[in-house]
Amino acid sequence: MSRYEILSPEGLRTDGRRWNEIRRFSAKMATTTAADGSSYVEHGNTKVICSVNGPIEPRAANARSSERATITVDVCFAAFSGTDRKKRGKGDKYSTRPIKSPNLPTYQGGGGALLMGRAQSKRRVLEMQSALSRTFASTLLTALHPRSEVHISLHILSQDGSILATCVNAATLALVDAGVPMTDYVTACTVASYTNPDESDEPLLDMNSAEEMDLPGITLATVGRSDRISLLQLETKVRLERLEGMLAVGLDGCGKIRQLLDEVVREHGNEMARMGTL
Amino acid sequence: MPRELDPTANEKSFILDALNQKLRIDGRDLDSFRELELNFGDDYGLADVRLGKTRVLARVSAEVVKPFADRPFEGIFTITTELGPMASPAFEPGRQTEQEVLLSRLIEKAIRRSNALDTESLCIVAGQKCWQIRADVHFLSHDGALVDASCIAVVAALQHFRRPDVSIEGEKVTIHTMTERVPVPLSILHVPICVTFSFYLDGEVCLIDATLQEEQLRQGDMTITLNKFGELCQISKAGGLAINALNLLRCAKVALVKVGEITATVQRRLEEDAAVRVRRDNLLESKADNERA
Repeated sequence: MSRYEILSPEGLRTDGRRWNEIRRFSAKMATTTAADGSSYVEHGNTKVICSVNGPIEPRAANARSSERATITVDVCFAAFSGTDRKKRGKGDKYSTRPIKSPNLPTYQGGGGALLMGRAQSKRRVLEMQSALSRTFASTLLTALHPRSEVHISLHILSQDGSILATCVNAATLALVDAGVPMTDYVTACTVASYTNPDESDEPLLDMNSAEEMDLPGITLATVGRSDRISLLQLETKVRLERLEGMLAVGLDGCGKIRQLLDEVVREHGNEMARMGTL
Repeated sequence: MPRELDPTANEKSFILDALNQKLRIDGRDLDSFRELELNFGDDYGLADVRLGKTRVLARVSAEVVKPFADRPFEGIFTITTELGPMASPAFEPGRQTEQEVLLSRLIEKAIRRSNALDTESLCIVAGQKCWQIRADVHFLSHDGALVDASCIAVVAALQHFRRPDVSIEGEKVTIHTMTERVPVPLSILHVPICVTFSFYLDGEVCLIDATLQEEQLRQGDMTITLNKFGELCQISKAGGLAINALNLLRCAKVALVKVGEITATVQRRLEEDAAVRVRRDNLLESKADNERA
C-alpha cells in the first residue's frame, strides 16, 4: 500500500472529500466558434475541451454508411497535460508522448517502457476513442442522418484521474450544443474500491489520479436518469463481491453529474434566450 | 478494404426471431459455451483451442534477455496477436485494424496486467539476465468469440510450458538443456478466463459465446475476465446497448460459474497430457522439484 493515507480514519480522502463526494465540477458550453458544438469541462484538476462537428459529409470513404451517421472520435493529450512528478509515471496512463526516460517506471503489469512505451499508449488512446464512439453511437439518433459523420474531438489539457469519464461528459455537452439529436444525456463517473484496515470494502466516488494509481476502480457511463449502463470499464483486479457496491455508488454519481450537466445546459439556454440568439 | 459478409435480411430476421423465443440456431442454451476442445502439441507450450468452428493456437516460448532498466528484478512477458487472412478473408495481413488493437488490449489486460504470470520469478541475475516469455497467438479460424478462445489458449499454453532450468555459480549462468535437467514450469499466480456476453433485443436476451453471425447481429457486448477465486481481472463494456445494472451483475455471476467450468476443463486436459507424457518419456522419477545431486 502507499505511504500516505487514501482514506483517513475520520473518513476523509487526501483532498478532503468524503467517500460519496465528487470533485469541483464546472463546465461551459459553446466555447469555440469554429465548431458546430463545443464545451469545456473541469472536473477537479482534469480539464477537457471538446468540439463537435456534424452531421457533416464523411471525410473518409469508409466512414459512410447508408443506414446511419457514423461517429468518429479523436482524443488528443496535450503535451503539458501530465506532470513530471516521478511517482506519477505509472499513472501516466493515457499520455501519447513516447516514454523516453529509462528511469521512468511504466504502469503496473511489468516492464516494457523502452520497448513498448509509444505503441502501448497509442493503442490505449485508440481503445478510448473506440469506447467513446461506440458509447455515443448507441445514444445518438444516428438513423436520422444517414451517409454523414459526427466528429467528436477531445483535447485533454490536464490529467488528474477520471479522464475517460470527463471525456464522456464533455462530449455530451458539446453534442447538446451542436444540436445532434440524442435520446438523453450520457454521463460518466468513476468509483474506486478502498479496503479498510479491517478488510471491509468502501467505494469511493470519483477517483483522482493518486487514487486511480493505488486502488482498483471502475469507469461507468449511464444513459439519462435510468440505471442503464452503456460503458463499464475495470482494469485492475478486484473481488467480484465488490462490484455491486461500486456500481450502486457509481450510478448515484452519474445521477449527480447528470444534474450538473443539466444545470449547465439550462443556464446556457437561458443565456442564449437573454442574448436574443434563440 | 475487405469486409466480413453481413448476414442477409432473411438470416437476420430468422436468428433474431429465434432469439426472441430464447432459441439459438445451433440449438445451444443461451448461456452455454460451444464444445471446448483443447489439445497440446508435442513440445511444451503449444495449445490448440477449438470452440465450435473457432480455432486459436497459442505458442509460448522463452529466451534470455536483459531486463528493462526500470524493472531489474522482473522478467518480461509479452503477448502478440495477429489477425491474418487465415482466420477470415476479412482480415488483411500486416495491418493493425481497430478490431485487432481492441482484441490484443483486452487479452493484455486480462492476462498480463492481472499478473497471471509471476514475472519476478523470471529473473535470473538482477539487472543482467532474465527470461522473456513470449506468447504468440495465431487465429486459425474465426467463428466468433475470438477473445474467449485466445484467452483460454494463452493461459493453457502458459501452464503447459516448461522453461529450461538455470543454475548460477557466482557470475556464471548455465542454462541446462531439456535433456540435461528436467525443465521447470512457469509460476502462474492465477488463471484468468474471459467470458463475452452479447446483448440482443434491447437487453432482454443475453448470449454467451456468440458465433460470428450472432456477433454481427448483436447490439452490444461485454467481456468479463475472472478467475475461479472470484477475482475480477477486467471488465470491458465499451459502449453498445445500455444494459441495466442488475442484468450486468447477473452476467458477472453467470460468468463466475462458466469460469469455474472452463478452468476445470483446462486443468483436466493438462493432467491428461501430463499423464501421457509421463508414460511416453518415462518421467516418473525425474521431477523438477526433486533433490539435485
